[in-house]
Amino acid sequence: MVLKTLADLKKIVIGGPTKKLILATAQDQHSLGAVLRAWKDGIIEPILIGDKEGIQNICAENNYDIAGARIIHEPDIQMAVEMSVKMVSSKQADILMKGKVGTSSLLKCVLNKEWGLRTGNLLSHFALFEVDTYPKVIAVTDVAMNIAPNLQDKIAIINNSVSCLMKLGYVLPKVAVLGAVEMVNENMEATLHAALLSKMYQRDQIKNCIIDGPLAFDNAVSLESAQHKGIKSEVAGDTDLLLMPDIEVGNVLYKSLVFFAKAKVASLILGARVPIVLTSRSDSEQAKYDSILLSAAASK
Amino acid sequence: MVDKIKALKKRHKIAVAWAHDSNTIGALSKAVSDGFAEAIMIGRQNEITRLCGENGIKTGLFSIVDSDNEMTASKEAVRLARTGAADIVMKGLVGTDKFLKAVMDKENGLMLPDAVLSYVAALEIPAYHKLLFITDPAVIPFPDLDQKISMAQYAIEMAERFGIERPRIALIGASEKMSRHFQNSFDYSVMCKMAERGQIKNCIMDGPLDLFLACDKKSIDIKGVKTPVDGNADILLFPSLESCNPFYKGLMLFAQGELAGLVRGTQKPVIVMSRSESEKSKYYCVALACLMA
Repeated sequence: MVLKTLADLKKIVIGGPTKKLILATAQDQHSLGAVLRAWKDGIIEPILIGDKEGIQNICAENNYDIAGARIIHEPDIQMAVEMSVKMVSSKQADILMKGKVGTSSLLKCVLNKEWGLRTGNLLSHFALFEVDTYPKVIAVTDVAMNIAPNLQDKIAIINNSVSCLMKLGYVLPKVAVLGAVEMVNENMEATLHAALLSKMYQRDQIKNCIIDGPLAFDNAVSLESAQHKGIKSEVAGDTDLLLMPDIEVGNVLYKSLVFFAKAKVASLILGARVPIVLTSRSDSEQAKYDSILLSAAASK
Repeated sequence: MVDKIKALKKRHKIAVAWAHDSNTIGALSKAVSDGFAEAIMIGRQNEITRLCGENGIKTGLFSIVDSDNEMTASKEAVRLARTGAADIVMKGLVGTDKFLKAVMDKENGLMLPDAVLSYVAALEIPAYHKLLFITDPAVIPFPDLDQKISMAQYAIEMAERFGIERPRIALIGASEKMSRHFQNSFDYSVMCKMAERGQIKNCIMDGPLDLFLACDKKSIDIKGVKTPVDGNADILLFPSLESCNPFYKGLMLFAQGELAGLVRGTQKPVIVMSRSESEKSKYYCVALACLMA
């Protein structure tokens, strides 16, 4: 199965078991709005950890119906985050979501060696984009977490992303390893990594997906471009997952899709014991809602 | 190969540096008699004449250029090739290092600009169903990526001269898996992608492959590895001189292998063989050089 739109995520999760979601430092308007909407839709059951008065004030100001939601009062931001992570760690919830707290404070707790959510896997960021100009949803990784992944990191990032896509119902997703060109160039490390990753796919050392690269962005998403250049590829023009060479390329692509192509986006942190919804504080409520849908689908 | 070169009905001029060696003289007299070579023997004239006499070979088959030391003889052979008076240069009894010094001389040598000097050989092995080209058993100890790419291109070019279109080239390792402990497996995957993208042309390339997967279809079926070389390799590219060299010597010693090889990267074919090689091997090398000239 392939997702055509982000709304398709809802079809995956609706009717499934209700997931418990902890919103760490819940006194944040957009996060609360998205969480409560997903709750009303029967997708998640929220546990709101944070400043109770602050949470109630936001709900009152925005007409959010919070009746019946479980709230744990912890006004100190750091303590609230610690409590959230510890509760997830002791299996009291299926999804962790960031509220008002800064990303680095949350991740520090997630990575805590004693009570954090480490699995031994690399943490990586995974985003799904819906744009009018591509016939299906396209996944992009890593646009926010790993700065300059080496070859081993890239293998881990692909594995994280592919297992997430499989939970969404994908079978053998097509992975394009992005470069500036589709040729191998010894002076561009990304193209060398791409060649190595392709060969590891051919030798079954990276499983459950089809990998080709280097592919330039146009070859990756347009069959016409690929054919024009005479590229023979199992992936070109039909990419499900774009692997970024580094965070700068990824971040700029992500933001240009959102700003210029009016992309809808849902994103997650993968590689921890549970999916983590870690949208930026500036992301829209819709993006947060879609990310919650994604996390519910990925926590299967 | 010999039939092919005879069929071309063309004689190539071979300049032999420091030619007083019975096996070399014997090989060339046969090549001249077979109609595909002319030989210019450079060395001490009386010595060459004496060796011809001992072996019952008419000196009239060759032109002889008198020279009294191996370095000047090497330089003269190279000069003849540069000026067009010879098509092929061959090493006689001179040491390889001295001979190659003359070939590689920046001003008066025979190197193509920016070319990698490497060695490609054709092996005939009774246990294999066709000729097997191998590289590099003699020149580059530990080829880097660029050198490996040149080696592949030289071998492809040679296989093409033998009429093999899109030869299957196996990049040889100890296993077919990628491993960061084997740098060669990384180089190989980069080369395979270059072949896929048309940056290395006219071949079917795969690697890393072990020798079984490269040359034995049964092993592929057993291991279940998908490889376009399909156990039917025309060319084996080895990761190092020390793996390629014992491979061919082992086959010659224990499996009745025959070999003909050439230095590549030069403007004109250059024959470099161990001084101890048999007359037959030298004859094959001469034929190969004529085919490539």
